[in-house]
Amino acid sequence: MKLLDRLQERQKLDADLFIHRMFLTQQPVMLAGYKSLIDLPHTLMLLQQQAQNAIAAERPLFALGSGIGDCISPTEELKVIEAMSEGNLIILSESSDLCIKIVPISRTLSRAIEAPTTENVIRGSVSAFNEDLDTNIGLIKKHVHSEKLRTQSYRFEKGQRRQAILLYMEGQTNPSFLNALKRRIESNLGNNIPNLQALNKLLGFPVWTLISRFNTTELPENAAYALEKGKVVLFLDRFPFAIILPSMITDMFAVANDRNFPLFFMITMRLLRTIGVLANMLMPGLYVALVSVNPDVLRIELALSIASSRVGVPYPAIVETLLLLLVLELILEASIRLPKTIGPTITMVGGIILGQAVVNAKLVSNILIIILAATTIASFTVVGFHNSIFIRISKYLILILSALYGVLGLFAGVVVVCVYLASVNTFGIPYLYQPKARENSDG
Amino acid sequence: MITKHHIHDVLKMLLMTGFLTVLCGCWDIKDINHRTLPIVMGVEKKNDAYNVFLLIPENNQGGTGAKVVTGTGETINEVVDRFSKDMEVQVDLLHLKVIVFERAIAEQGLSDSISSFMRARDISPKTIVAISEEKLEPLFEKLKSSSKNGGVEIYNFFEKSAGWTPHVAQTRIWQIFRSLNSFTHDVAIPIIEPGRTTTIASTGSAVIKNGKMVGKITPDETLMFNAFNGLGTQGRIEVMDHGSVLIVADKLTHSSSIKGNKAILNCRLQLKVTILETKGSPSVTMIKRELDEMLTGQIQQMFRNIQSKEADILGMGQFFRTKLSRERLEHWRSEYYPYMKLNVQVNTIIQNKGLLKMKN
Repeated sequence: MKLLDRLQERQKLDADLFIHRMFLTQQPVMLAGYKSLIDLPHTLMLLQQQAQNAIAAERPLFALGSGIGDCISPTEELKVIEAMSEGNLIILSESSDLCIKIVPISRTLSRAIEAPTTENVIRGSVSAFNEDLDTNIGLIKKHVHSEKLRTQSYRFEKGQRRQAILLYMEGQTNPSFLNALKRRIESNLGNNIPNLQALNKLLGFPVWTLISRFNTTELPENAAYALEKGKVVLFLDRFPFAIILPSMITDMFAVANDRNFPLFFMITMRLLRTIGVLANMLMPGLYVALVSVNPDVLRIELALSIASSRVGVPYPAIVETLLLLLVLELILEASIRLPKTIGPTITMVGGIILGQAVVNAKLVSNILIIILAATTIASFTVVGFHNSIFIRISKYLILILSALYGVLGLFAGVVVVCVYLASVNTFGIPYLYQPKARENSDG
Repeated sequence: MITKHHIHDVLKMLLMTGFLTVLCGCWDIKDINHRTLPIVMGVEKKNDAYNVFLLIPENNQGGTGAKVVTGTGETINEVVDRFSKDMEVQVDLLHLKVIVFERAIAEQGLSDSISSFMRARDISPKTIVAISEEKLEPLFEKLKSSSKNGGVEIYNFFEKSAGWTPHVAQTRIWQIFRSLNSFTHDVAIPIIEPGRTTTIASTGSAVIKNGKMVGKITPDETLMFNAFNGLGTQGRIEVMDHGSVLIVADKLTHSSSIKGNKAILNCRLQLKVTILETKGSPSVTMIKRELDEMLTGQIQQMFRNIQSKEADILGMGQFFRTKLSRERLEHWRSEYYPYMKLNVQVNTIIQNKGLLKMKN
């Protein structure tokens, strides 16, 4: 009874470890496992039923190959502990030195399938991924009925011990990309990945980058679409998002859900997003360029009204723009932190009271308020929060260049942004790559 | 892990941003509210010196009103510089919309001023040029007193999308500059004066030859000039003995030829009109014939008028550019143009009889 003693010893340290004595087919056995992971009453009922079945079939319950569970040698204590912490139930028979690991009825420790919290769906499947890996895979399989779907599992053994599942469509995915990705993951299985930054490092992407090399989505619909497009979907245990590789510029403007609308609406919506991105990147820069460096580009009526709205403003255009942009970024950041119930209050306070007061105090001109409000709204027409961050940052580069060189600087800034985007690639697939329709149909 | 390579990269970035801020010269940039944007400039001669007027919108919160500043100097630039020096804001001519010259200057020649505007680039080449018959002071007083919207009224007067009508010529600095350097193209500059009840009144156009004003055409002739340049006569009402018509569309085609040493230009003007009213009971053919005769007469009369001045404001020489050698084109204005024959054929289509019961 060496193992049992050890377990009892351990019970003093792990409060939720239980050791339960019961009779199965007239044999006394000890059950061990974690209360927090196992639904004990239901599991006991299951065991009793199996025992009765064994009696009816007149075969010994614990005979090898009876299919009740896997045997573990009782001397391998570490393996036993590991099996328990994964949520398995251990049966120790008192008579023989037998130790069996069985899959019990576990507690429900993840949410039910709910509507997405970070992405909104207007017309399309509403269920979203949750923290449970198997649920997520199941959701995907429901969306992709294909014998080509391949599911590969990896375990990262260090630290938090995460399980990762790689999904791809056989024949659809670029083979060199897939092999590079697999090789990379397999050679780094010893790593700990507590967060996406660590995953980024593990996959060998640069740390100082403005573009996230993987796209994340909460919607099985989007993930299924990505799979069909030949992308690779990676799931991490306890992470309620599908990680889609490689990320592309089209992810910024297109979602699978668009195709649930008539083609004309789809094109208009995508156009609108493109305009939103451009407006957000260019408008503050354009304002500064036109107001301080190249007022000749404005129409005279507009020039006069801007000039009159700026009378008495003490700071140069770039300073007032940066000032107000900072306030707006603070509002954005604050509204993420705020509980949903008081979020609208802060928005109102920030938007109306602050905006009005700032104009009345003559700190900024009221045309700037209009421009920055439009800019902020436009920044979220883009698909995915991670994409909007890149746009928010590149806006500042363009703003500063515009303040220095006017409209010329604005265009230089746009060129720099384009060059940067062109330089980004994921395992050899460029960020700006646009798969041709024919390549898709061929697979 | 920070390597030497990383430090090099960081240094390079620092150097680049350093150069960017140190070498850009952005400290000389003046915000729009620290510049003044004059809309109208007036230039007149006063005892061999230039007297310059500027109509400046007043930058107050309401955005209304305008003021006039004047100064005298040897050159226009000198006066503008003095304004800049004496005012609390920098005078920025890039939004200048209209330049008004006194007639005396136009008769002496605009070439020096126009060339210097083109060269200096502080005035936009698309600025409209106008000529004032009288001294400029009353005109600017009128502009100032009637300015309700920062003085943009005179700009709207010439703006095609606002108050412009085909009776007013619309000539920009670059067009005058082109005419200075072209053998075959002259321009007409609108003549304006302060109106009795309106802000501005146009009394016709000045005929400019080689930058000098040599004559004048009436507003009706200006309309022909505009039509010839493709600026459209749409909406124009022609009143004849037996009725009035509204021109809906017009199209002008040319064919040129040289016979012996004489240039001949055949013009075909195709008009689509609707009839507005009739006097008596004219037939359609009658109205057509009357309109044809009237327009042909007007065009021929205007042509003879400008032909006698040897000023090719209609740009008819353009149609002979492929037919004459460059050496001969040089003498277009003196040797060919005065003897040129213009055949005008007006072809009218009555598109709509305006619910009038008319005989054909």
